[in-house]
Amino acid sequence: MSYEGVLEQSDSGLKELVKAGEEIIGYIYPHTPLELFLAHGLTPSLMRAMPGIGSGFEESLQTFACSYIRNLYNQRVNEQLPAITGLLFPGNTCDSLQNLTDIWKIRFSNDRTYRLTYPVTRYANDDSAETYLKKELEILSKTIESTLSHPFSTDNYERAVSLVRDFRLDTQFLYAARLVDPDVLPYAELARLVRSFLSTPIASVASDIHNISVSVKEKMESKGLLGIIDSILSGLQTKDLSKVEPFKPPTGSRILVVGGMVEPQAIATIINGIDGIDDSILVLDLLSFGFKSVFTPPLDKNGDPFEEMAKSILAAPGEPTQEGLHQRMDFLKNLVESLQIDGLIICEQSFCDPDQFEAPSIEKAASKAEIRTVRIPLDPELSDRARIEVKIQTFLESLGNM
Amino acid sequence: MGHQASEENRLTWVTSGFPVEIPVAMDLGVSYPEQYGAIVGSQKVGPEVCGYAEDIGYSQELCSYARVSIGSVENPDSSPMEGLPKPQALLAGNNICGTVLRWYDAISEQTGAPVFLLDTPPIEDKQPDHHKEYVLRGVDRLVEFLGTTFNKTLTEERMQEVADLSSKALGLWTKSLVACKTSPSPLNCADRFLAMGPVVSMRGTELIIDFYQGLWDEVEMRVKEGLGAIREEKIRLLWDNIPPWHSIFKFFNGLAKRGVVFPADTYTHAWSGQIEGDDLFDSVATMYSNVYLNKGLDAKIDKMCNMIKDYNLDGFVMFSVRSCKRYSLGQLVSKEIVTERTGVPGVVIEGDMVDSRVYNEAQIQTRVDALLEMFM
Amino acid sequence: MSKFGIGIDIGSTTAKGLLIDSDMKVCAKHIMLTGAAASQAIDKILEELESQSGLQLDNITIISTGYGRARVENAEKSVTEITCHSRGVHSLNPEIRLLIDVGGQDSKVIRIGKKGRPDDFELNDKCSAGTGRFLEVMARVLGITIDELGPLALQSDSPSSISSTCTVFAESEVIGHIGAGAKPDDIAAGIHESMSTKIVALAKRVKVVPPVCVTGGVALNPAFRHYLSKHLGTNLWIPEEPQLTGALGAAVIALNGKS
Repeated sequence: MSYEGVLEQSDSGLKELVKAGEEIIGYIYPHTPLELFLAHGLTPSLMRAMPGIGSGFEESLQTFACSYIRNLYNQRVNEQLPAITGLLFPGNTCDSLQNLTDIWKIRFSNDRTYRLTYPVTRYANDDSAETYLKKELEILSKTIESTLSHPFSTDNYERAVSLVRDFRLDTQFLYAARLVDPDVLPYAELARLVRSFLSTPIASVASDIHNISVSVKEKMESKGLLGIIDSILSGLQTKDLSKVEPFKPPTGSRILVVGGMVEPQAIATIINGIDGIDDSILVLDLLSFGFKSVFTPPLDKNGDPFEEMAKSILAAPGEPTQEGLHQRMDFLKNLVESLQIDGLIICEQSFCDPDQFEAPSIEKAASKAEIRTVRIPLDPELSDRARIEVKIQTFLESLGNM
Repeated sequence: MGHQASEENRLTWVTSGFPVEIPVAMDLGVSYPEQYGAIVGSQKVGPEVCGYAEDIGYSQELCSYARVSIGSVENPDSSPMEGLPKPQALLAGNNICGTVLRWYDAISEQTGAPVFLLDTPPIEDKQPDHHKEYVLRGVDRLVEFLGTTFNKTLTEERMQEVADLSSKALGLWTKSLVACKTSPSPLNCADRFLAMGPVVSMRGTELIIDFYQGLWDEVEMRVKEGLGAIREEKIRLLWDNIPPWHSIFKFFNGLAKRGVVFPADTYTHAWSGQIEGDDLFDSVATMYSNVYLNKGLDAKIDKMCNMIKDYNLDGFVMFSVRSCKRYSLGQLVSKEIVTERTGVPGVVIEGDMVDSRVYNEAQIQTRVDALLEMFM
Repeated sequence: MSKFGIGIDIGSTTAKGLLIDSDMKVCAKHIMLTGAAASQAIDKILEELESQSGLQLDNITIISTGYGRARVENAEKSVTEITCHSRGVHSLNPEIRLLIDVGGQDSKVIRIGKKGRPDDFELNDKCSAGTGRFLEVMARVLGITIDELGPLALQSDSPSSISSTCTVFAESEVIGHIGAGAKPDDIAAGIHESMSTKIVALAKRVKVVPPVCVTGGVALNPAFRHYLSKHLGTNLWIPEEPQLTGALGAAVIALNGKS
């Protein structure tokens, strides 16, 4: 399915929910506690930057604001955001989003906006970050209750924990399976599944994903690959790849895509559009709306809800604001070696501080692991698409000894 | 001084909003990469030194202080003063922006020095209790980190001493700032930007007390004698953001010739407040969380409107610094609201504080002229 | 029996085709404007290659490259112009380690590795003053033709300072210099100096390893070559037909298959 087609599909899924009377809370930052909103009887839906939106940011944002927030602002100004009841912004994640929130509250003062501020403390070996985030979540919960008259329900919470846990475990499995047998499911399809859940986290979508995961599991079992897949899965979940069993991957390039808040689907579409290439070369991504959302640890139903949610968010993999650069680069190097990655595509969102500060370090780590990299500047409009295609194709040619 | 501390393996690099009183009280040296950035900018070699970072893959879209810092560590021989002396620890406080976290991580990768981050999440207006608790625990961990890394201890006595010295210097500095409410203003923008150096980088030391006493004496005298910083004060404006270090005199003196003075600005006014009371750490957690850049846009707008009123200003100039997203991104909105609330006109000019490649004199000239014409 | 290979390079402005034999001898070549319909240009090129060489093209492998590479239906596959330029220059001069290609709309730097394959490469950022367009804009501001710009610049030994990374801002810097009475040759020199520093910055990201080759329309500009050579600190090698290196590389790949 084309990039545009996928966007349309998830849009229509959301529209149906709204028609059925559900209230949607849009969110922007990947590490949002879905279980919290579901517990309040609301549907959290990931707001995405989209191509083909008209302009309008110039009244409030300079061009050096990251292209992601400019796109979101354009959607709002052109009234192209989905029909949401409220919007959740993150605090303390990056300066662009920090300012966007403040600006939004002034420019669109009638919009119902919320902000969850995240701690960035790392390696503290104490629970101060967890305590802070837990309190922020409690305050958010009370604010939702008072502004939307939607109380926190334990039943809803427990259902939500199961729902999100099932989604995570199923998609984690699919990620691991594709590492061993990339042809078993196109990357574009996996990205579509993840996106559809993040847009509409409902039972029917989770059930579709589950069915696919079951069918993939059967195929892998018949090929005798379940053992290796499980060892990879456990390695990714625990961030310890030392026990991953050695395996012989099928022939063909094995590419890892890294970056921040860029669209996994956009990458898949670009790659599938290149003459003679398909996305089976993309064996893994480390993107915010892909791997980092999928491999966030699920909650323990039995713990205190707010404590559990805080713990889960703080354990999300790979975010610069939660882990040290050193740790992330070591993990990357281990990943590349144990999963037999041939090359890295490094995505950089236009004017994105996190992406652009990280890219040189990723290049260094790749160089230590003796693999090649290519850096791709991206924006939601894919304005430089032709040149991005050339860069990726040249990169693949250099791997395949053209 | 920094070199000596580095040789004795007790040098830290700090961000400008860091509670520097604590490392100072623990007998550590401090150097300021941001200030180094300002120096490089003033020496007009910003593009070159930034270029050394760009050569190793850092985007031109990133903070130019960070690029200068990374570039000078990469290529010290070709950088002014051969760069800053080698640090043994990097202390970052994100109350000024989120970039410092990533910048200091990059420096850590280059130098091998460990990073300590004091996390002060941005606050809308009032600091919530759980926020202060969280920052306090961070301050405790800071003391622990410095203790372990440098084998030093912090005594209450020494902390009180340093806090007092810091408060004294800040007190004198603030008096000089506030004196600019008079007309003619005893200080102009560039004067303040240059005079603020010591209080940013050497807070808590004895050395700077004399300096700020001297400054205050001079300011006091000027006020008494009715001596302004510029010859013929006709228009009083507010300045917002970091100044263009590479063109600071050209810009401000050029306007001074036309009778334009800047009695107040949001940048130099950011270093105020006192560490006081019975619980010094509590005071630190409060003071350093509530800096201008750590508050929401509404709070920034309030501050600017108050300054325009208190300092009797006729208008304002907002410098939209391309590489500083934290400071610059709300300006297009705050410009409108400040004018709405105060009735005075303002202008936004574009450029960068260090990277002179994105500073267009002709465009700036046109916009500033247009503003000044409004006063005729 | 001799083996042959065909390379077809469909650029946004010009389309090129080359037929070579296994001794690397050129049996046929054709350059034309791409025009509005790439398919027509492709047909014309194949016609010309056939008639000039006297060969049946059916059994000869075709590799396509350039902007319109996906449009060449008879091509066995398409390969990017980066890989093709690299292979092409390597076949003309195997010593070359760094290739700088400056066209009208974009610039690329390629570090050539083993067997002429790109080891690393960089393209210019979306909006930077390091392409032929920059020179076009500035020539217009100075009121001269693009062909006059280079020779004029060479007459100066004190280039005016032009520091902006943005073409629009650089344009206003030039206007400022004109207004201040600077000599046209100094301004022209400053323009070339500015452009070459941008290219050198791009090259540094890929590591500058001599010997260096320059291709693309701007390679014909003597002032650009002068300042580029100066700022790189090395001599430059320019192939005789710089426009054809892409098609040549594609033909070489066609000849040699996937190895």
